[in-house]
Parts: sequence; C-alpha cells; structure tokens
Amino acid sequence: MTLMTTQTTSAPTAAETPKKVRRRPEGSSAVLVGRPGFVWALPATLFFALFAIAPLIMVAVLSFMSWNGLGSPQWVGTDNWNRILDDPVMINSIWLTLLLTALGVAIQTPLSIVLGVWAAGHQRNRAVLSAIYFIPLLLSSTAVSVLWRALLDPNFGIPARATWLFGDGNLFGKQATAIGVLAFVSTWQFTPFHTLIYQGAARAIPDVLYQAAEIDGAGRYRQFFHITLPQLRNSMITSMILMIVGGLTTFETVLILTQGGPGTDTTISAYYMYQKAFKSFDFGAGSAIALCLVVAATIISLIVVRVSGYDKMRSDMEGVS
Amino acid sequence: MKTRTRLHGLLACGATLAMAVSLTACGGNGSGGSSNDGKIHVLVYGDASNKVEKQIVETFNKTSDVKAVLDTIPGADYQQKLQTIISTPQAPDVFFNWGGGSIQPFVKADLLMPLDDFIAKDPNLKDKFLPSVFNSAVVNGKSYGIPMRGTQPVLLFHNKNVLDKAGVQPPKTWDDLLAAVKTLKKKNVTPIALGGGDQWPTLMWFEYLYDRIAGPELFQKALEGDKDAWASADSKKALGQIKELVDAGAFGTNYDSVKYTNGASPALVASGKAAFELMGSWYYSQQQTDAKEFAAKGLGYTTFPTVPGGKGDPANVVGNTNNFYSVLKKTKHPEAVAQFLKLMYSDEFVKAQMSIGNLPTTTNVPKFLTTSASPEYSRFQYDLVAAAPSFQLSWDQAYPPAASTPMHQAVQQFFNGQLDADGFIKAMQALPTE
Repeated sequence: MTLMTTQTTSAPTAAETPKKVRRRPEGSSAVLVGRPGFVWALPATLFFALFAIAPLIMVAVLSFMSWNGLGSPQWVGTDNWNRILDDPVMINSIWLTLLLTALGVAIQTPLSIVLGVWAAGHQRNRAVLSAIYFIPLLLSSTAVSVLWRALLDPNFGIPARATWLFGDGNLFGKQATAIGVLAFVSTWQFTPFHTLIYQGAARAIPDVLYQAAEIDGAGRYRQFFHITLPQLRNSMITSMILMIVGGLTTFETVLILTQGGPGTDTTISAYYMYQKAFKSFDFGAGSAIALCLVVAATIISLIVVRVSGYDKMRSDMEGVS
Repeated sequence: MKTRTRLHGLLACGATLAMAVSLTACGGNGSGGSSNDGKIHVLVYGDASNKVEKQIVETFNKTSDVKAVLDTIPGADYQQKLQTIISTPQAPDVFFNWGGGSIQPFVKADLLMPLDDFIAKDPNLKDKFLPSVFNSAVVNGKSYGIPMRGTQPVLLFHNKNVLDKAGVQPPKTWDDLLAAVKTLKKKNVTPIALGGGDQWPTLMWFEYLYDRIAGPELFQKALEGDKDAWASADSKKALGQIKELVDAGAFGTNYDSVKYTNGASPALVASGKAAFELMGSWYYSQQQTDAKEFAAKGLGYTTFPTVPGGKGDPANVVGNTNNFYSVLKKTKHPEAVAQFLKLMYSDEFVKAQMSIGNLPTTTNVPKFLTTSASPEYSRFQYDLVAAAPSFQLSWDQAYPPAASTPMHQAVQQFFNGQLDADGFIKAMQALPTE
C-alpha cells in the first residue's frame, strides 16, 4: 500500500516502467485512461452516497422531528435530544455498549492472535482443526444466538448438567451473567474471523526473520514476542477496529439472547435504538440514538487510528526485502 | 482527449443513475398493493391461518363484482410494515389487527373508517359476535373492527400426573393455589412454569390478578389516562399478592432464563418438572405438536382461581379476544367491503376456522362445536368466553404500541425484585396512553 501511493508522485523507478508498458501496450489509451481518477470512483461514490450518506443525513434531520411512521413528521427542535440525554436507560446503554465492546476486544484479541499464529503453521492437523474451528464464521448471528439460547436453557441445556458451575442456571436473569453470555457468544462467533486475519498475516511474515532470530539464539517465545507480534501490528489494528465497530453495532445477539433484559440490564444502544424506532414507533428518538452511535464509532475509530500510528501507514516490513 | 474522458465519465454516471432508478422502481411495488386497480386489498398477518382467509376471499369473489385480493406480510414484521405502508398509496382497504391499542394510533391519525354505518345497515355485523370480544375493537365509543379469527383466552394449564402424585387438586381459589405451591415445592417440582425470558408470559399474571382483585374498571381507567388508578389500594393489593406468590418460590428461581417461545416452558410442564403454566389457549395445540402423548392424556386446564374479597367477577377472562378486520377511510369500495365483512359470521367461515383449530367468536359457533378437532376443549373455551362479563384484552395490546416495551420491562423487574411496588406503579404511570 505504501508503495502504491508514493509511486505516483515520485519519479518511476527503473523496475516499474516496463511493467506499465506491459499492461497497456497502446500508448494512446494509457495516456487517456491515466491513473485512477475521480470518474473511476464515481459508481462507488454514488452507491455510497445513495445508501450511506443520504440515509445518514435523513437520520440527522429526523432526530429533530417527531414521527411515529404515520402522517408527516413534525419539527420538535432539540426535544428528542433532551429526552435522550435525560433518559437513564440511554446513559446506561452507552456504558453497557462500551463495556461489551471492551470485553469483546479484550477477550477476542489475545485468543485470535494465539489461534491465528498457531493455525498459520502448515501441518496437516492444524489445517483440519482450523477448518473445523472456522465453522461458526459460516453461521448467521441469528442462528448462533438461537443455538446458544437453547444450549443455555437452565432446565434442558448445559447448565442443567453442570449445576456445580451454573447453580440454578439463571444466566439470563442477572445482569452480570447475561453480559457474560453476550460476550461469550460473540467471542465464539467472531474469534474465527479475526483468527483468519491473523493467520493470513502470520503467514506473510518472511521466514528470513525467524531464520535470523534462530541464528541469534532466540527461542520460540522470544520469536513470538519480538518478531511475530510486532509484525502483526497493522493486522491487529485492522482487527481491533473491526471489533470495535462490530461491538458498537451489536444487535441480533441481544435481540435474540436477552431482548435487553432482565429489565433494561443488557439494553445496549443499538438495541435501544431498535426499541425506540421499531417497537415504540418513536423514530425521532431512535434517529437521535443512531446518530450518537455513528459519532461514537467514528470518534473511537479515529482515536485508535491516531494512537496506533496506523494513519502514517508505516510499513512493518522495513528493511526486510 | 479531454472530451473523450468526459464522455466516459458521463457514461459511468448514466449507468449508475440507471441502476439507482431501477433499484428504487423495484422498491415501489411490494406487498400491500395499491387500491387504484378496482379491487379491494385485504392485508393479513402471514401464517398457517391464511388458508381460511384465502377460502373466504375466493367465496367473496364468486359473487362480487368488485374482487378482493389477499395480501400477506409474514409473521413478526407485521406491525412494523403495516405502520410503514398504512399512510401511503400502497395501503390496503381492509387489514388484520389485534384491536385495542394496535389500531388506536391509526384512529388518532384519522385513517380508519368507523363501522357504525355498516352496522346500522346490517345489525348482524355486531349482534352475531360475542359482545365481550366485539368491544375490544371499540375505540372512543365507535366500532372499528370485525372479529376475523379465533379467540385466545388465557387459561391455567396443568400436568394431571404431577398433581395426582402430589395429591393436589386443580386450584379453585387463590389460597388453593398457594397451598398447592407449598406442597409441590416439597416434592421438588417447580410449582409454576414461567417463560419469563419472553416477558409477556409474566404479564399474564398481572392481568388476571388485577382483574380478580380490582375488576376490569381499574385497568380501563388507567388506559383512559387516569394515572392514579395504578396507585390505588386495589392496585397495591394485587401487587402484594403477586409478590407473595413469587416469594413463595412458585416460579422457581430461574424463570427469567426460560422462554415460552423456544418451547422450554411447555417442555417443563410436559416432562413433569413443573406443574402449572398460565398461557393463552394456543397452549393446547403447542403441546399437541411438542408432546403429543402428554397433550392427549396428561394436560389439564382450568380457569384462573378466584380471589376471595376481590371486586372482579370470577367469570372474567383475559387474553387475546380475537383478531379483527379494520377498514381504511380511503377505500373506494365501502359497499363491497361491507359485503366482505358479512362473511365473518357465515357458517362457512365458522366451519373453516374450526377445521384448523381456531375458535371463532360468533353466535353460531355452538352448532359446529362437535366438528372441532377437540370438541371438549373448544366447548370449554366457548362457554367461558360467552359467559364472561368482561374479556380484558392483553395489556400490551390494549395500550398503544409505544407502551409495550416499558410495560414488559416493568413486569419483569417487579418479578425479579429490581422494582418494588412503588417503582412498578411509577413505571406504569409513565406509560403513554395515547
């Protein structure tokens, strides 16, 4: 990626010039088409504008209106915003969202790094096991949630067989355990995906690094901490941003597993938005919550990118090839 | 050169636009249909009962010049989608609903046609239906719905074998129930199965106890906007008795992790791990599907126990009174619609509903009770509903849709102790009533 962006501004090196010629033999059209311009991005831009920007603007407008889906929306000024910011359930939902997201990152990151690096090996047993392990990735979140709701039934599921661990099995009746179940199920479901990211990244680490380390007398653990982990830095940031955005917008799991309960104990912001808009038909308040989520997700992603130095696009392959 | 580049750009632009336009064009013509095609569109909740609705539409089309078309919206999305299309040109002429609060926002938005003119021309449109059922689609003194499926009163079901083994009789009074709870607990049986994870099964206990103790008037007042009703002595008494039952361990400790909708709480009763369950009359067919043998031999049912000293008539029932057809004001064929609605008390309609296990609420039902799949159960329900002075529509459907979520949360929190009586009263007072 670094190469691509720098190439166009700096003078082409000797190695690149023949490549260009090979790709576009007729000189005239090469000049005509040139490097990717705005026009190339137009279809995607229009698509994005139509399905992302336009709805976003409409949501922003709607958050200042009162609308129950019938008749025409009425301007109410900042009424929805005042209501939401005074709503203890809303405030609580933000904390719950952040907690679940943080739990997701904290549990899934180490797990998927270890699994991904392990699965990067080319041994046959690893290939077979990781193929099995990737199955949850193929299931829809809805299916996964329905499955776990049944497996965790206190009278007929796992808790009934392991009372020493689960007690009366009232996992969905208390806040702490309900949050635990949500974190566990998303871990079960999404770790394979992040494992896949790390597996690919770990396989891309040049062998010469390990060979050099071995010559220097570094053991397996030192190799892991001083070569593998630093080399995975960019993948780690990618995976973490995906986790954070995924965590902030978690919805189906809550809808099917806890329905925001007990009471409002697991009502996270995305679910609260759904409740307001599509259960209570208060589209104004729902839109305000949605906008809060958009802003929060954007800010958090920007912070991660800044803090991690991802925006500087520093290669982690410096001096390797 | 420059012009050619621009041409390319224009082409790309055009292609994208064309795509966008065709996409939006697709979106315009979904289910629901427009009523400008000279037909009446009937929109119903899509499920197994559609068989009968199709048959009735066909019967109607045989004689009518204005044809009817049946549109369905599958399952759980019904209310959302209805809300989205009802004020658009795609709105149907006639649509399925639950009466009460489910149509109140539409009445308020002046979208529905009062049916009183139809009834004036054909009094049968009212007189042929059981009054307690018909009344739950009356809003502000005007009739807005004609019953069009089966009634679903809430009954107290039990496992006969479990009660026999414990030497317990089906409870007639509240004290019987409390005594039964004690005995059953000693036998290590969960006295009452409750799908608390779904929240609405918990609500049924409130509906019955409030009705038994305070009579249907208290809830009616609250629904009309009198917030003090919730803080009344009767309200507190009802809450006290619910708390007493919960604290006695009647529901065990893990009811909030159990769901009705995934078959877990009915399985508790069928397998003998629990003795009772309070549920709508659809419970019978649910058990027939899930546990055929138990449904045939071990499943018993009674009315909700009486509460000594209560103001409510012990013959009152709560539940889903029926589903209704309501008519949109903008329909171009009111005459045809009136003819269509008359089919809802025809013999053909009753027979067809009974054949799929629904119990219609028309006065000609007794003639056909023997044709039902389970005549004894159908007769029990019919007699119960016909004799009930009041049939309270489920609270979450009597209130407007906006109240449903906070109401469900409040009952769950009262059961698990997060809300005390005062907290519950405050939560109910905060519910929107219009």
